[in-house]
Amino acid sequence: MMDASGGRIDDATIVIRDGHYESVARGAPPPSDARVIDAAGHLVTPGLMNADTQLGLVEVSSLPETRDYGVNRGPLGAAFDVQYGLNANSMLLPVALGDGLTRAATSPTATPDPVFLGMGAVLRVQPGGDILDRPRAAMYAGVGGLDIRREGGSRSAQWQLLRNAFDEAKTFNPSRSAAVPRDQLQNAVNIAALRAMLDTHMPLAIRATRESDIRQAVALARDYHLRLIVVGGSEAWRCADLLAANKVAVVLDPEADIPWTFDDLGSRAGNAAMLVKAGVTIAFSVSGNTIQLSHNAGSAVREGAGLAVASGLPYAEALKALTVNPAHIFDISDHYGSMARGQDADLVVWDGDPLEPSTAADVVFVRGVQAGRVTHQSLLRDRYAPSHAQDRWPAAYRP
Amino acid sequence: MKLVSFILACFVVASAAEVIPRAEAAPAPRDHDKASLPWLSDPYPSTYTPLPRQDTLLVNATVLDGAGRRFEHANLLMRNGKIVALSTTPISVPAGTETIDAKGRWVTPGIIDVHSHDGAFAAPFTSLDLEESDVSETSRPATPDVWVEHSITVQDPSFARALAGGVTTLQILPGSNNLIGGRSVIVKNVPATTVQAMKFPGAPYGLKMACGESPKYAFGEKGKFPGSRMGNVAGVRDEFLEAAEYRQKWLDYLSGKRDKRPDDDLKEDTLVGVLNGDIRVHWHCYRADDMATLFDLAKEEGFHITAFHHAVEAYKIPQLFVANHTCAVVWSDWWGYKMEALDGIRENAAFVDAAGVCVALHSDSPWLGQRLTLEAGKAMASGRRAGLKISAEHAIQWVTLNSAKILGLDTQIGSLEPGKNADLVLWSGDPFSVYTKADQVFIDGALVYDRNDPARRPRSDFELGEPSMSDKPAAVGDDQ
Repeated sequence: MMDASGGRIDDATIVIRDGHYESVARGAPPPSDARVIDAAGHLVTPGLMNADTQLGLVEVSSLPETRDYGVNRGPLGAAFDVQYGLNANSMLLPVALGDGLTRAATSPTATPDPVFLGMGAVLRVQPGGDILDRPRAAMYAGVGGLDIRREGGSRSAQWQLLRNAFDEAKTFNPSRSAAVPRDQLQNAVNIAALRAMLDTHMPLAIRATRESDIRQAVALARDYHLRLIVVGGSEAWRCADLLAANKVAVVLDPEADIPWTFDDLGSRAGNAAMLVKAGVTIAFSVSGNTIQLSHNAGSAVREGAGLAVASGLPYAEALKALTVNPAHIFDISDHYGSMARGQDADLVVWDGDPLEPSTAADVVFVRGVQAGRVTHQSLLRDRYAPSHAQDRWPAAYRP
Repeated sequence: MKLVSFILACFVVASAAEVIPRAEAAPAPRDHDKASLPWLSDPYPSTYTPLPRQDTLLVNATVLDGAGRRFEHANLLMRNGKIVALSTTPISVPAGTETIDAKGRWVTPGIIDVHSHDGAFAAPFTSLDLEESDVSETSRPATPDVWVEHSITVQDPSFARALAGGVTTLQILPGSNNLIGGRSVIVKNVPATTVQAMKFPGAPYGLKMACGESPKYAFGEKGKFPGSRMGNVAGVRDEFLEAAEYRQKWLDYLSGKRDKRPDDDLKEDTLVGVLNGDIRVHWHCYRADDMATLFDLAKEEGFHITAFHHAVEAYKIPQLFVANHTCAVVWSDWWGYKMEALDGIRENAAFVDAAGVCVALHSDSPWLGQRLTLEAGKAMASGRRAGLKISAEHAIQWVTLNSAKILGLDTQIGSLEPGKNADLVLWSGDPFSVYTKADQVFIDGALVYDRNDPARRPRSDFELGEPSMSDKPAAVGDDQ
């Protein structure tokens, strides 16, 4: 067994009761009333968390009617809240769960607002059930990028608009409608969302990759007393000490090692290792040309963590970045992220090293419930297995 | 006469159904040499020369030779850019041969990426590329006249990233917006200031084609043809009908039946190259029913499909791949990002391989293109879980020898057999592990990459003097 802080216990007995961890002890006998799963020789970890996906908000990426992570018309900016669009029957969820993913941050990508993307949520990867773990887990904003012309052509304008929005939110008084000045830029629904964000200390997650933007984000967070998460952060290693000093977490893609655009010229494989060495809390997400973001949200994030280890990140830190770190970043550590007594019993029995991409999950539990193994893909696999090569009836007659 | 029989031989291979009018070939054939045929001419020839090299002996390595064999504690000798010997017994070498102790390390052939867009879909990707990228000529649905080598940015940093992942040969393909996207180019992954200096000498050309959603949306959404799958198929059939007419003009001219030399036609030249079997067809296609249609189309028009690329539903029709001698070029796990990718399964490569189909893993991505051995490892693991017996020495073929066959280069690269080019990778460990790195990469016997020697880690011009890439933020502008 390997717990979320990388501590290893051999020959561990893990007791789950009523959906929660009860105890973890070396060599302890199982309780007499328990169903026993023998995981001898297998590594067991907490269920993993991907810190940036669109799980529950997308089915087939190319089909707008199956995408609910962005809004391109209407009044919603900061107030756009993805929690209402979550689809527990998404066929992506059983795939992610089968890969050992039991929690995921799911995030908005666009609104008509020049900077605000809306509010993201944390979900339990529990197909068919109540998948909303924590609504409004963070307010997302985006700066820079290839479509910056949409924002009027300058990131300076974006930072000014962000600052202005928080200025307006600070002076907003919901009890006095007259308090909204005539030329206020944020409309009533968005200003209310921003004010609620400030009042509840909801973190601000800024999608940014360039060093200058990351530094601006830190300055903004300092000026407005915001909890900051940098999402992307390809050049975060360049200001690792600043991020550590300001307790800014970074959700990064360990595969980003190409100077792909002028916003992330400093992308490098050692980003994760350098940030952790400086004391920054990190978590992972893997884009894979956006293809792996949701459809392989479980397998890809494990492979990404493995690549970070291959580039110098200590193994235990990689495991933390897949469990306790995102739990803290998105405020669900009171019930998820470790195997401490009372935590939700999210657990995976692996058939190898979970950070090796060729490894698979043997057994997965979410909140004490063992996950099924059936996915769209597993059924196709069984239907078209080579053993059926001589069948005379069409595949459609097979299960 | 020599020439005419060459052309006719190609016809017979390419189109068994076609009746060659031998009896009418009374007029005297014209004397031409092969290179004067427009579809075989080589106007942008390779200027590649191997980098400086030293004869090298690797000792005590675990070797996956790419041809299906595995050797423990093996020794391998590279001399004059060729593999000379691979043996588990000591190899005696002349003085001056560099010896590398590979104890605990693995050796494979150089990795081959049969589907890359490096250099064409190049970094840095810019907002202007969003509108007009160099990877696709989107003004017409069929552009067999474009050659992707004319789009290559040799300073794309992705080449060096791929090299660090052991990739020694890449086929760069045009994008998938077009029904017929243009000619591919096969390059050796050596840093160069011109694409000609990267071109693999004598490598056959490929032709990128695309089925399904990509072309129909790229053009249909603009209100242009094609806007449907049936439009896609009609578009390709039309192109090849025209090409057949053009080819007949040439046949008549070469056999003496026609006096006037046909006008050169860049589009038709490429398609005639396909019909004659000189240019290899690489067809982007996902769905089983689409691919089955195209197998018939190829028979109808008289050409051979070398490989379907992506082929996420190849596992539904492996027997058609076998019957048509077509390879399946796939990912390990991509699925779901569009309708035609919805049925992607991780056992695809293994299932199709088990049916006897030639399978290769490809990248289609500069990130994935750094990790093709992990792709092969994932595909192998998925197959094993589904009950298939797949060895490491077998699976490595999916990124080496099978890939070389698909490119028509398997007599030169793809395995570590004596006489082949000394393209190989010395890995720090098991090449299917995420923790393993390419320690050294050799192309034609030259050490072109060394993880532990900064002087042997190429960097593109683009990466020079960029402050944000520098380890020390203040270093640029300082005396260096």
